[in-house]
Amino acid sequence: MKKPTRTSIFILVLISLLAGPANRLLAAGNLLIKNATILPVTGPPINGGDVLVIDGIIKQVGRNLTAPPGTRIIEASGKYLIPGIIDTHTHLALSGTNEGTEAITPEVNMAEVINPDDPAILTALSGGVTMVHTMHGSANVIGGVNVVLKMKWGQPSEKLVVREAYPTLKFALGENVKQSNRMLLPGRPQRYPATRMGANAIIRRELLRARDYMAEWERYEKLRSSKNPPPNLLPPKKDLRLETLSDLLRGKLYARCHAYVATEMVEFLNLAREFGFKIGAFEHAWEAYKITDELLAAGVGISVFIDSWAYKMEAAEGIAYNAAYCTKRGILVSINSDSSERVRRLFNEAGKAVKYGLTPDEALKLITINAARQLGVDRLVGSIEVGKQADLALFNEHPMSAYTRCDLTIIEGEVYFDREKLLLEREAAAARKGGN
Amino acid sequence: MKKESRRPCLSGQRKKWLLLLIPLMLAGVLNSLAALAVAEVKPAYALVNCRLVPVSSPPIEKGTIIVRDGLIEALGPADRIKLPPDAEVIEAAGLTVYPGLISAHTNLFLEVKEQEQPQTTEDFLGTYTQAATPQQFPELQVFKEIKPKKQTVESWHRVGVTAVVVAPNRGIFQGQSVVLNLNGDRANQMVLKQPWALHINFTTERGGIYPSSLMGTVAFIRQKFYDTVHYALHQKKYLSSPQFLKRPEYDLFLEALVPFVVDKRPVVFQCNNQEDIKRALRLIDEFKLNAVLTGCNEAWRAVEHLKKVRVPLLVTLDFRPPATSIYNQQGEAARKKAEAEIYPANAAALLKENIPLALTGFGLSESSFVKNLQAALRAGLLPEAALRALTIEPARILGLERQLGTLEPGKIANLILTRGDLFGEKTRVVKVLVDGILFNYEEKGQ
Repeated sequence: MKKPTRTSIFILVLISLLAGPANRLLAAGNLLIKNATILPVTGPPINGGDVLVIDGIIKQVGRNLTAPPGTRIIEASGKYLIPGIIDTHTHLALSGTNEGTEAITPEVNMAEVINPDDPAILTALSGGVTMVHTMHGSANVIGGVNVVLKMKWGQPSEKLVVREAYPTLKFALGENVKQSNRMLLPGRPQRYPATRMGANAIIRRELLRARDYMAEWERYEKLRSSKNPPPNLLPPKKDLRLETLSDLLRGKLYARCHAYVATEMVEFLNLAREFGFKIGAFEHAWEAYKITDELLAAGVGISVFIDSWAYKMEAAEGIAYNAAYCTKRGILVSINSDSSERVRRLFNEAGKAVKYGLTPDEALKLITINAARQLGVDRLVGSIEVGKQADLALFNEHPMSAYTRCDLTIIEGEVYFDREKLLLEREAAAARKGGN
Repeated sequence: MKKESRRPCLSGQRKKWLLLLIPLMLAGVLNSLAALAVAEVKPAYALVNCRLVPVSSPPIEKGTIIVRDGLIEALGPADRIKLPPDAEVIEAAGLTVYPGLISAHTNLFLEVKEQEQPQTTEDFLGTYTQAATPQQFPELQVFKEIKPKKQTVESWHRVGVTAVVVAPNRGIFQGQSVVLNLNGDRANQMVLKQPWALHINFTTERGGIYPSSLMGTVAFIRQKFYDTVHYALHQKKYLSSPQFLKRPEYDLFLEALVPFVVDKRPVVFQCNNQEDIKRALRLIDEFKLNAVLTGCNEAWRAVEHLKKVRVPLLVTLDFRPPATSIYNQQGEAARKKAEAEIYPANAAALLKENIPLALTGFGLSESSFVKNLQAALRAGLLPEAALRALTIEPARILGLERQLGTLEPGKIANLILTRGDLFGEKTRVVKVLVDGILFNYEEKGQ
């Protein structure tokens, strides 16, 4: 579950309309949204509520608000305003997914390969998604450094990056890394590791190497700054692979670990305790429901699918109640898309959690504030609160309803997706074509 | 199969005979001209009654330019230049003389190594299961690979190009380029600068070996640069005091990189899209490289980054939108529209921000080079700017501004004579001098 699927034709039509005039949609970061049913996520709903945005920041939330003259006013009566949806696990807007040739590649950084022209950004916007954690794939045990992006369609790559988010490093365990589902060609050796024990062992091996590396540099620095440094003192070789792992051991990076089964997750928790590194979340974590005590004790959350279990052996014991049950047990749960197509209906995925036992308010948290907390950006986004960045999505019905759709997506007070406007432009384009 | 592969060899030999004949014929002509002169004296030409566009100074409407021993001896208004008695006078009324154009990135004269297609299942599995070897050769001298062909030289003359950079074209660390003067087909005599630069491309390895992804490639390049810095430091320390220091292990790869990473000889990054430019600029900044960017047909989209640095660009006139581009993802019609209407404005947009650049025909045939140049001019590129970007600007980027790029006494006699303004749509290049060697391309019926 790592390869983005093709975008639908519908979305492509939208893109062709938006590509040119993208910038025309943008306001100046000042907005007044009026008469919406506001679901702030961190507080009770406000019926007929207004949100005032100045310079991209939410200035006021309440009723009967007024805006400075010239501010764009969006009439939203009958509609639902929610914080922009955050996808905690995708691979969109990247020119590359896996450095899968070797088992250990933490030296690679997804921030180096952002592609702001990826139409999946617009796909995401059309589903109210304003931020994604876009990651290295799960082809190898230690993948690369991931990056958090805002879906600012039409902006240059550097403007997409959310620098305040936790820096994270992708780990992966299980079938993908041991290449269980890969056809072996004659004459080609199978890559190590080929078992779960191997995956665990190679992580330990690399982390021990990183410890040695750190010690080597420490020795060097000590000698260098001593009163009489040896005349032929040579610094150790800089090793980008071990540099990243050293950062993990120093607590500067959070591990995000792709894992399915309970045993491999518990083993990874043990590794983290042994080496003292932080885990941001387990990805997919189909058997998390079996180890809620361990996850709670470690304070580790999960980023999961809602109900697409049993698509491979290691997902066989997945259950659709996983997200709801873990939430009720107090684990920080987010729902992810892991797909450039599913990203536009992530709200539907979260909505299914209602069937499995969560209230609509709890379900909405799975793709907003919970996701923001997992990415370390909950003080900036993830709820509608004064002082937070105005990343918002406007839905025609309750976002956890099966009949809802996203009409407007706003990032930092700027409209990046306007369904009505796009449809009008599409009609106009079709009419022009017909005229010819 | 075998017969087919021999056929080009035969025609090649035939061409060689022809090529041998041409210098013989030239020699004959020259002998008759310089009958009274001493045999060692090389030919001198006086091009008279022509319009001169020196690039470095304003045009001269009725001028004379004297070429001797492959160099420009003098030029100026007709009434101020005395014709040397030994010079062959070329009546050039109605013709305009420009410095020869420079295409500072080509893959000319490189033999395309076609991979044999596997015919059987065994063959297929054989190629697939072969241990893949990395395609990395920073030490490669492209000069050793080239096979200059007179036909290619002449076809580029016809569009005004008299000097080219030939760059290697495989792998990430591709090797080192050479600057050639298009004066014939003998590589040694053609060299203007060898080697010029190390060429790096943001591509990936094939056959399942590292790096197989773009982010892997960036990491790979960075690691090699760090290794080079350390290697050079180790060597330096070892040379100055080898006692109590383990000698560095010899490394051919790093050895080849030292002159470029440590001694700051030029490094050329091929930038296939806007993001490649940002990747290259990050590396240039991190390792303080003396760098040039090539490709760059989407550079206007990274102009905010380019404005902050003085990294020169070799901007190709290839307007095909890169694979990453949004225009490439909306179907054939949108792609073609972008190629015809958006990408040709690249150079003009960059020059508006005073980004130093040269234009190249990288990736283009000579006919597309001319066609696309016209498109760039229609898209707002000023003719004077285009001329500079094909003459003095590339000369400067190549460090050859004292030898090439303008019509000035003492410079190499690379001249093109056109009927009509160089960038006119019906303009023909009718004579070319390279290193003072005259090539005639008179239109038929004249």
